[in-house]
Amino acid sequence: MTYSYIYQISHLLGGIILLCAFSLLSQRRLSAMIALYQIEAITLAAAALWQGFAQNAGDLYLTALITLVIKAILLPIGLRQIVQRFNLIRAVETAMPIGLSMILGVALIGIAVLVVLPTTLSAVSITREDLAISLSIVLLGFLVMTTRRNALAQVIGFLSTENGLVLAATGMPGMPFVAELSVALLVLLACLVLGVFLLRIREHFDSLDVSGIEEIERRGR
Amino acid sequence: MSFASLAIFLPLLAAPFVGFFGSPAQGALANLVLNGLVFLLSFAAFSSPGAGLIHADHLGLIFGTLTAFVSLTTAITNLGFVRADAQKQSARRWRVYHAMCQVLLGSTLLGFYADNIGLLWVAVEGATIAATLGVSLPRTASALEAAWKYFILGGTGIALALFGTMLVYLAAQPALGPGLQAMSFAALTQHGAQLDGSLLTLAFVFLLFGYGTKAALVPLHGWLPDAYAEGPAPLTTALSGLMLNVALIAILRFRHLMQANVAAGGSAMQPGPFLLTLGLASLLLTAFSLGRRRDSRRFFGFSSIEHSGIAVFAFGIGGAAAIFGGLLHMLLHTLIKSALFQALTRGAALRGSAAPGNYGFSHLRGMVHSNKTLAWVLGFAIFALTGLPPSGLFASEFIIISQTIQRVPAVSLPLGLGLVLCAIAIIRNIGPLIFGPAPAGTKPQKPGWDIHLATAHLALAFLAAFAMPWLLVRLLSNIASSLQ
Repeated sequence: MTYSYIYQISHLLGGIILLCAFSLLSQRRLSAMIALYQIEAITLAAAALWQGFAQNAGDLYLTALITLVIKAILLPIGLRQIVQRFNLIRAVETAMPIGLSMILGVALIGIAVLVVLPTTLSAVSITREDLAISLSIVLLGFLVMTTRRNALAQVIGFLSTENGLVLAATGMPGMPFVAELSVALLVLLACLVLGVFLLRIREHFDSLDVSGIEEIERRGR
Repeated sequence: MSFASLAIFLPLLAAPFVGFFGSPAQGALANLVLNGLVFLLSFAAFSSPGAGLIHADHLGLIFGTLTAFVSLTTAITNLGFVRADAQKQSARRWRVYHAMCQVLLGSTLLGFYADNIGLLWVAVEGATIAATLGVSLPRTASALEAAWKYFILGGTGIALALFGTMLVYLAAQPALGPGLQAMSFAALTQHGAQLDGSLLTLAFVFLLFGYGTKAALVPLHGWLPDAYAEGPAPLTTALSGLMLNVALIAILRFRHLMQANVAAGGSAMQPGPFLLTLGLASLLLTAFSLGRRRDSRRFFGFSSIEHSGIAVFAFGIGGAAAIFGGLLHMLLHTLIKSALFQALTRGAALRGSAAPGNYGFSHLRGMVHSNKTLAWVLGFAIFALTGLPPSGLFASEFIIISQTIQRVPAVSLPLGLGLVLCAIAIIRNIGPLIFGPAPAGTKPQKPGWDIHLATAHLALAFLAAFAMPWLLVRLLSNIASSLQ
């Protein structure tokens, strides 16, 4: 297996993740955003697997497994539950026109490439472009968070940002703690999703007292 | 296992037990006992700072002890707080509250003691989650909003800091190669000259904005006043002392890496201007927004932003003396601010309830009619925040100002202006709050003996500023000259 082969496949996977992160900007429906996020997470798992193979690093396989099980399967299930439960099928309100946010997204990708590539001339070449791609994903995630008014959509933006971070971490040569860091991030994500759940409950019932919910359940919603 | 690691893991491991069992009163007691043990351990850690991942240096040890001390006094006042409000929240919420106090303590100590940039990040992340859960506990609409704001802003900051952490690792590759060494502060500092300068600069920008969010520097400060105002009072007292310091010290350490690289002829940029800008922005924004606050906890939250800004400003000036001044400022501010919040919580309790929403200046005014002792302690604590003598902060601000005039005279005017404006805004509130007419129906009451813990804080701050023990002076100046 030649070096360039490793190089190209890791970039292909990074590119797919970037594409998903970019498409998140154009989606107004939550279910579509969740689907895109799911594709992103699956690709990320593949990228981590590939990096583990390329760097011959065992803990990257573990990262890939965690990513696949939790981020690509469990989190989307939880998100869809929230969408169904609170009936969030309508389009999400955006803070700026979709077209404008996509133009901003392109500009952010440009900035990320212009910032990262010249500063990393001495770094190992496989990390350079990967780093540019991950920074773009991180910035695009922030853009999604700022352009969406809905809490769940903001969380999906944050999840995408976090995918960019894990992608960057897997690309670092021999970085210790990658699996541990991704687990630490997952705890944060789980709390975020839980937070949305609580917030939505609040908006619906005007009180988070569990007693109130029990009463509503007793009355049969 | 070293005492340093023990001090970190004891509260973290105890948190689930506190979180699942016991009544509110038992939880408060367990909280107190654990805090007492950690306080002892934080002293023992001086003799056994650990090795490898958790290897505390003197800077971490000093601030670790301060953290443990503030947590301990907070835990003592917490007993009264819980007794008064025990019926207003369900037992489950009290358990979560006490568990979060422990997690916050453990992860803050981890942030101080860890000699690894990844562990530092994990510590800040854990503390963020714990603090957010704590802020959301009253479950009112405004508390949830504050918690959500905190989570989104804090999460963004954490994401930026992680990216910066990875960039530092990458910058260390030419000097240290792959592996744990490239993440250790000690090793990074030692090889500061060989780090990749341009990557380090890029990393510093991310780290500054990432940890700057946690240190509540303008323009990333939005979460702090809300979190202070809406959370359960003792937890915010702890917040003010603990979290800001971890983030500020992280910024200081990364600044030193940059500076070491610049000094050795590396290609990194000067970190000073970044820090000066953010520090001044925090100071000036506070100066102009303090006057308009109606809620006292929000007001003093803004004052924390001011003092965070002053510390970062001092780090930006650079040089051993300015960094000494900045570190002293952080120490004193932590002591004074936690005393202030303890007194304020007690004052609100005398006026009916210490729950969030009872801290408006109009609600608390004329404290002297409720209790004279409390009013004097509160008045002194607020006055101490202005930085006028005989407040301890006068000493640190004096060092910082004189260093500014010596090294970067151009910024001394805005610094002075900001300090004076903040002091005026704070002084204006002392009169009405302490001596003004009390709301109708106010009766004199007893505040309880533990108000003198706040007095002890103030006395300690005074001593540390004007009669600091020789040993501590030597420790702090060694730290400052090694981090200049």
